[in-house]
Amino acid sequence: MLTYLGAIFLQQGDTTRFDLMKQAAVNPDLSKFLVIGALLFIIGVAGVLTRRNIIVIFMSIELILNAANLNFIAFSRYLSAMGNVNAVAGQIFAVFVIVVAAAEAAIGLGIVIALYRNKETIWVDEIDLLKW
Amino acid sequence: MTLSGYEALFFWIFGLAAIFAGLLTVMARNAVHSALFLISSLISVAALFILARAEFIAGVQILVYVGGVMVLFLFVIMLVNVGAEERGSEEIFNNQRQVTASLIFCLLLVGGMLYSINTGYRGLQARYPATQEAVAAQETIRDEAHAPSATGSSRITKDTESVGSSLYRYASLPFEIASILLLVAIIGSVMLARTLKQEASADDVAPENAD
Amino acid sequence: MQKYIWLVPLLPLIGAAINGLLGRKLRFSERLIGGIAVGSVALAFLISVAAVYSYGFGGHPEWPKPYLTSQDGFSFNWIPGGAVSVNHGAQYALLNIEWSYQLDPLSSIFMLIVTGVGLCIFVFATGYMHGETGFYRFFAYMGLFMFAMLVLVMGSNFLMMFVGWEGVGLCSYLLIGYYFDRQEAANASRKAFITNRVGDFGFALAIFGIIATFGSAQYVNVFEQAKSYPIELIGHWGVLSWIALGLFIGACGKSAQLPLHVWLPDAMAGPTPVSALIHAATMVTAGLYMVTRTNVIFQHSQTMLLVVALVGAATAIFAATIGITQNDIKKVLAYSTVSQLGFMFMACGVGAFAIGIFHVMTHAFFKALMFLGAGSVIHGMHHEQDMRRMGGLKKYMPYTYWTFMAGWLAICGVIPFSGFWSKDEILWNAASTTHIPLGWVVWLVGTIAATCTAFYMTRLMAMTFWGRERFLEAPAGGEADEAHASAYDKGLAPHDATFASAGDRPRHEPGEHVGPVHENVAHHVATHGHGEHHGAHIPHESPPSMWVPLAVLAVLATLGGLVGIGPAFRTLTGTEHPGGHLNIVTWLNPIIWNPVTREFNTPEGGHEAAAPIETTHAAPPVAEGAAEAGHGSVAAVYGDTGFNLAHAVEGSTHSELATEWIFIIISLVVAGIGMLLGGLFYVWRPALAGVWSQRLRPLYVASYNKYWVDEFYGLTVTRRTMDLARAVFSFDSRLVDGIVNGLAWLSRLFSRIVGGFDKYFVDGLVNTVAAFIMRLMSPLFRAAQTGFTQNYALVMVLGLMVAVAVFFARDILAVFGR
Repeated sequence: MLTYLGAIFLQQGDTTRFDLMKQAAVNPDLSKFLVIGALLFIIGVAGVLTRRNIIVIFMSIELILNAANLNFIAFSRYLSAMGNVNAVAGQIFAVFVIVVAAAEAAIGLGIVIALYRNKETIWVDEIDLLKW
Repeated sequence: MTLSGYEALFFWIFGLAAIFAGLLTVMARNAVHSALFLISSLISVAALFILARAEFIAGVQILVYVGGVMVLFLFVIMLVNVGAEERGSEEIFNNQRQVTASLIFCLLLVGGMLYSINTGYRGLQARYPATQEAVAAQETIRDEAHAPSATGSSRITKDTESVGSSLYRYASLPFEIASILLLVAIIGSVMLARTLKQEASADDVAPENAD
Repeated sequence: MQKYIWLVPLLPLIGAAINGLLGRKLRFSERLIGGIAVGSVALAFLISVAAVYSYGFGGHPEWPKPYLTSQDGFSFNWIPGGAVSVNHGAQYALLNIEWSYQLDPLSSIFMLIVTGVGLCIFVFATGYMHGETGFYRFFAYMGLFMFAMLVLVMGSNFLMMFVGWEGVGLCSYLLIGYYFDRQEAANASRKAFITNRVGDFGFALAIFGIIATFGSAQYVNVFEQAKSYPIELIGHWGVLSWIALGLFIGACGKSAQLPLHVWLPDAMAGPTPVSALIHAATMVTAGLYMVTRTNVIFQHSQTMLLVVALVGAATAIFAATIGITQNDIKKVLAYSTVSQLGFMFMACGVGAFAIGIFHVMTHAFFKALMFLGAGSVIHGMHHEQDMRRMGGLKKYMPYTYWTFMAGWLAICGVIPFSGFWSKDEILWNAASTTHIPLGWVVWLVGTIAATCTAFYMTRLMAMTFWGRERFLEAPAGGEADEAHASAYDKGLAPHDATFASAGDRPRHEPGEHVGPVHENVAHHVATHGHGEHHGAHIPHESPPSMWVPLAVLAVLATLGGLVGIGPAFRTLTGTEHPGGHLNIVTWLNPIIWNPVTREFNTPEGGHEAAAPIETTHAAPPVAEGAAEAGHGSVAAVYGDTGFNLAHAVEGSTHSELATEWIFIIISLVVAGIGMLLGGLFYVWRPALAGVWSQRLRPLYVASYNKYWVDEFYGLTVTRRTMDLARAVFSFDSRLVDGIVNGLAWLSRLFSRIVGGFDKYFVDGLVNTVAAFIMRLMSPLFRAAQTGFTQNYALVMVLGLMVAVAVFFARDILAVFGR
């Protein structure tokens, strides 16, 4: 945010910053989509690195995947607006991302259940068998 | 692809909702709360999909992601997590150092990503300097070409049709591979989640020898 | 027809190859094997007859020059040569050895003997070897032997003779050791081969000498050059004498002359047809062939002629005295063979080479006949060989008896059987020789040996065919043959069933028990006891396949001598050598070198002008009209040879004819004396044999033990060689192995030192350094392994950021650099 704000302040131009910001807000386009996707991504990463509950870590991973999906769709929209004939590829990709996410969730949760049966815990810091 | 009018309004509503729900997902104490917040985040993102004219993907997201994956999550939470946090004041975040390091890195990452998105977008616009009006005009022409809906107030887009035709023609190989992937996932998850007794009865292995 | 003589050795070889390689694999029947073998030899015989006829009697333009198959292209270049330096002069000759066959008077006689007598023996063997499991092997080896022998006698150079020489030695080894599972046969075959090798050593040296001296190995070249060498009288020992010595050593080995005779009696362990073919008729005569072929060289060396004659005489008397006391029928015949070979060498030593070959021929007939007859007797007696258990077989085996009688009369030298003609000529030539001194000694020894021969052959006849039937009194043979014989009598066992070591058996005393072969022998002995007569096993006559060859050979033994009717009968026949080309002396003339004229093909003696036979040999300076040269000229060549018995007698009678007849009468008389004594001791007064053997006990024991020659050889040669081998072995194992082991010990010591250095010093250094580093770095690395997954995730994110930063390094710096 700081760099963004910094970029805004450093920017030169004829229109005022506020006008630009207002226009950007009233007419959101590709970059806004990407920003939302980026923020969701960061939130997911933070969740993965921070939480102790293993299920919540999985949900954060789903957030990350979702953010990537948003990215794909945004670009697909942009390309179709630009008239690119391959614009639908983004949506295709998104389909596959969803498929893979579903499969991965299933397997991951199966692992969680097996792990829970063995160790009787869901706190990741208690699962440190690879510790030296 | 600039949104305008009500579309822009709803974009901001759902966008902020998605971010907020995501934040709460990560910060909720109760795992069930986390799941519910994730659901709302996903639905918001689905709405964003609709705004980006990817109706089919939005539907898929709600049906599969929310309706399948999140339900699965809830099941598993019920299996393993019931009353975990209420029992005591369990710590939900990791140790101090881990959290601090993560937040620092995430902030750096955020700054980098936002800056690069903006710079990249400006560069993109510089490369393809089609003005907004021309693009909008083109889009309007394309939109007018769609058939009107039954009520006459909107148009029926060809999104599903184009996704389907591409998926089954140009992406048919990944499609098949994805189906095999799902099959493998099914088998794998069944196998992983078996109890000892189920494994023993399946392989005729003595329970004490099954690992 | 001469062109096809190359088929003569080849056919038996092909027969042998077929029998040997396919006989067992394709399970040929005995008839097929026998048919192939006999057929190949018969075909070879027919071709030989045709070739010899067309060469000698068909007006062949080349007669009497030798015919080589290379003249018609049926030869090949065996050893293409390099340059060999020749002894005389500074000339270099290209030594090229070719493989071609030579048809000349000498080789033709041997071809006919080998294939003809061989044919009879092959036919006999098909009957004798019936039932043997190694039937195919026998005929394969016999065919191989025929091939080797024919190469020996038909070869055109010394190297082919040597190939044949070694080949017959090999086949002798294979055939003597035919019953290879019996220790006696194995030992005998080894003894034969090794003793032969001693002789072959001399032969090889002689061949080297021939090649070095004459620059070639072909007969025609060598003899052409040898003609012109000076004669080396006694006291002068030159290169030709060395060569002759080497050749004679080879002949001693092959033809069982005195120091190297020990293998022949032991060789009787082989099957009887082998003894007949190899050790009576053909192989042992190879020495004679060689000496006669190289008569040029021998006649150039008076010392060697004397040596040959004396060795032959000594062998003759030595073996004859041993033969008197032997009890095994085949051993008697073996010693008889050695003795007769001595006679043949006597003939060659006194210069009568043609007579020596004549005796080879007649001996082949009657000795093969007697060996086959003995085989028939053995067969009929169910493999009994001890003559003390025979007797009275005259009425059981009539064919065998009458044919054997022909052989007996022939070997005793009764007129007009074949043995008389040849033996008488030998003795006459010994008495009248002017080639060497001491001819009278040779004659005397030969006469005594002839007496002994007549004696022991009569003894053999008496003990085997006449008198009472001793096989009815004591059990004949060992238990194995007992059982076989009874079974055969009852019709339970087939003829000649193959029992273990069925065949020519070890000797044993009457009543002695041989090791049992059948399980029920103990029971057999227990119920029957020793010596109890339990139904005699009647000897039976042999099948026609066995007595028909006997008959053929008997005819030859009776009439075969007529080709050599001697000059003593010239009043009856009109010429010195009646029969023209059929007379053996005339026939062999082209290959006998006359020392007077220094040419081949001049008749010896001067009683008729030599027929003007064209020779293409370059005429030496000696006068052509030397045909009238008589004894005097030969004496002029060889100098004064001391007392000559014939001349002494002639001095009294003043007639050469009368002198010859006197010697004939003497040899007939001594033959008669021998036969009478034999009859006396063994037919009319059998007790006398025991009485005299007691009176002459030392002589009897010496003769019975073969003069302890084998024991002497064992003591001096065999055991000393083994001692040497043991000494060398102990030297090797102690000293040489000790050195090697010591070196190994040294290197192990060295390796231990180096290992210690490596272990303590070098490894210690490395370990210290490694431990230091480890203690330093290990906690650091360990700290990274927390096992906490989120730490790993954090590191992944960090890594992602670093990667992105590196990737976009330029752009990032551009931001801050702005």
